[in-house]
Amino acid sequence: MKKGRGGRSFGGERRDGFHYNRYQVPKQVASSSSNPAPAPASSSNSPTNLQNLVGTCSDMCPAKERAQRERLRDLSVLERLNGDTTKTSPSLAVKKFCRTISSADVNVSDIRPLPVLKQTLDYLMKLLDSTNLPFEIVHDFIFDRTRSIRQDLTMQNLVSPEAAEIYEDIVKFHIISHQKLAMCWGRPEISSLCHLNVEQLIKCLLSLYDMYQVIGKGKCTSNKEAEFYSLYVLLHLGNNLPKMGETLSLWYRQLAYSVHLAMEVQIAKKILRYAEMGNFKLFFSSAAMDLTNLQFSLIEPFLNEVRARAIVQFNQSCYKLQPIPMRHLSELLMVKEEEFEQLCKSCSLETSMDDTGIRLLPCKQATFCIPKSGLPFIGISANQSI
Amino acid sequence: MAAYLSLAESQRRIAGYLHRFVDAIARQDGPTLRPLLAVSSSASLLPLADALANFPDSSRLVTQSDQIAQFAEILLPLLRSIQSHRLRCFAEAYSSYEKAANAFLQEFRNWETPWAMEAVHAIALEIRLLAEKGDRELASVGKSPEKLQAAGSFLMKVFGALAGKGPKRVGALYITCQLFKIYFKLGTVHLCRSVIRSIETARIFDFEEFPLKDKVTYMYYTGRLEVFNESFLAADQKLTYALARSDPLNMSNMRMILKYLIPVKLSLGILPKMSLLKKYNLLEYKDVVDALKTGDVRLLRQALQDHEEQFLRSGVYLVLEKLELIVFQRLVKKIYIIQKQKDPDKAHQIKLDLIIKAFKWLGIDMDVDEGECIVTMLIYKNLIKGYFAHKSKVCVLSKNDPFPKLSGKPVMAS
Repeated sequence: MKKGRGGRSFGGERRDGFHYNRYQVPKQVASSSSNPAPAPASSSNSPTNLQNLVGTCSDMCPAKERAQRERLRDLSVLERLNGDTTKTSPSLAVKKFCRTISSADVNVSDIRPLPVLKQTLDYLMKLLDSTNLPFEIVHDFIFDRTRSIRQDLTMQNLVSPEAAEIYEDIVKFHIISHQKLAMCWGRPEISSLCHLNVEQLIKCLLSLYDMYQVIGKGKCTSNKEAEFYSLYVLLHLGNNLPKMGETLSLWYRQLAYSVHLAMEVQIAKKILRYAEMGNFKLFFSSAAMDLTNLQFSLIEPFLNEVRARAIVQFNQSCYKLQPIPMRHLSELLMVKEEEFEQLCKSCSLETSMDDTGIRLLPCKQATFCIPKSGLPFIGISANQSI
Repeated sequence: MAAYLSLAESQRRIAGYLHRFVDAIARQDGPTLRPLLAVSSSASLLPLADALANFPDSSRLVTQSDQIAQFAEILLPLLRSIQSHRLRCFAEAYSSYEKAANAFLQEFRNWETPWAMEAVHAIALEIRLLAEKGDRELASVGKSPEKLQAAGSFLMKVFGALAGKGPKRVGALYITCQLFKIYFKLGTVHLCRSVIRSIETARIFDFEEFPLKDKVTYMYYTGRLEVFNESFLAADQKLTYALARSDPLNMSNMRMILKYLIPVKLSLGILPKMSLLKKYNLLEYKDVVDALKTGDVRLLRQALQDHEEQFLRSGVYLVLEKLELIVFQRLVKKIYIIQKQKDPDKAHQIKLDLIIKAFKWLGIDMDVDEGECIVTMLIYKNLIKGYFAHKSKVCVLSKNDPFPKLSGKPVMAS
């Protein structure tokens, strides 16, 4: 804050050496569906701090809610005892997310303490693998019930490495769902589920980062943390992301430099750059080789969007009289030739064949158009030929 | 040192201050009132603080006179704040000041004319400065820094008091700028949106009515927001507005605007003179500009690495990274120029091999596939006019203006 010197100054940009984040900025009440900020675990003498509730519910679902939902027949398929719509059990029922809760109505007996939340989450994650139900139903259930877990966490102002682990597992759930839902492309109800899923994924990640900052306080960022930070970068590959308030440039500003230097984050930034610079060769080879499993799972549903961009780029830039062999493009974009042809067709592009049977993509077609129902999901296929 | 101060002298100082305060209000004298509120930003109240430390019963001096007591709700916490600040208890100084400010705002609402606007602005500035000091103090003892956020809430209240049809509304832009500074510092930049909406789209304000200094600051901050959003045309317009109306002798302000304007201009294909960079000490951009002039991709990447942290902090890193395409264009153009000199008839056909060799010469290894991606990207983004013949691996340039200049338009978005 410069004084005098003729005219007003805009002020300096000196960093104060401490972070403002949502965990240090107290909010009113745990009443909204988004993740409000709990206070840091160490007690503060500030009079505006929320009181630290400690839950006492020892089941995945408080008994009162169980009884009520049995009466109202408000039980998910996954909660019904032997398929009975009016009966559940402590080992099946999981507390529902409640949008309109206010701190005044809260009973500690309805809130699950950290160990119970951990058990509940472990149970839910096991359900992810169940194959006897359509995935949307399983997703829907876990989506709601993990939101309730996050709600219980914030109502108790739990900020600790164990709480961070719970958030990390929930992030993993959202990523697995992101992948699996993308595989059911084409159905309109799925695309809104996808959108909501990514929205919660982002909220979860942002809360997780704040938690890292409070817990971390000057310690080195672990590889695991760096990996989770990199996920936010990789998300920006997607074209239709829900707008979450901050652009990447803004987010980079407040990120500690040590995190920027972490290898997992560097690789994510590089891949994003390759996609934006149209360097599909390096994008796909990097995606295939340099990413962790978690990072790859996150971007896999975006691969076809990137491929579509590549198709547009080549279609518009190449020579009409020299159509590109599909084999070349499919190798470049790491996809099987048949799948590539399918992708072109779904974008309303025609393909052709020459006299020797080689499939070609003619250029300068004016009909390119991304289908409203989205693109089919295709993962990465390594080169078939050597 | 307060040790030599006699009780009588202390009492005189305090009483003098109180009378001056109350008089100023009675005479509706804004310029006199203003310095009496400058707890943090100036040293003028230090003698008063010493007197307060020396004279414990200062509240009696407020309450014993009716004329002064009517402003007790302002003056009592204000005196406390002055004292706390002197003792470097900044969090407490903030809290007391906020109480005084709230009481002052109540009075201000009742005064019909905007005579006290200067004082309100002074309060807005002090609130922010005290909050920043208070948060630094809280963080240093491991407590949660919450004063700046509280300051933001208070200033929103002030904004509300000014956002009306009356003559007080010209003071609103100054408050907006203080809010911007707070939001930028807190990292809650998205909160700027609602104030901006009130200023720009609600029918209350006429932007031209505001004082020039406030308009410049406002355009500086909103220009920066446009940079973060990579809306280069809007950023150019706003930052240039601020630049054109800033005092050219105020090096610090000029530098701050240019720091953001230069990357914006670069994205629009407009390069600054080296003398400008030198004059305002913005040499971190020197290599970036050189890379754009020569097509040296390696130089650009090196510059980004050398100043990575700085560029990340100011939020221009991604903007500069994207200049790589323009640098690629420059490189291909150089190859074209050299070819044209050797054989003008064949110059419009550039072999991909040659382009890859040029990159290799710069130390960047590239295979044919990558080269093809880059060339098709340049054509797609209209940085090269022509087409790429895949089979013959040749980039065929248009005879007419094959390397269109950006000239004030950004590279086509994806």
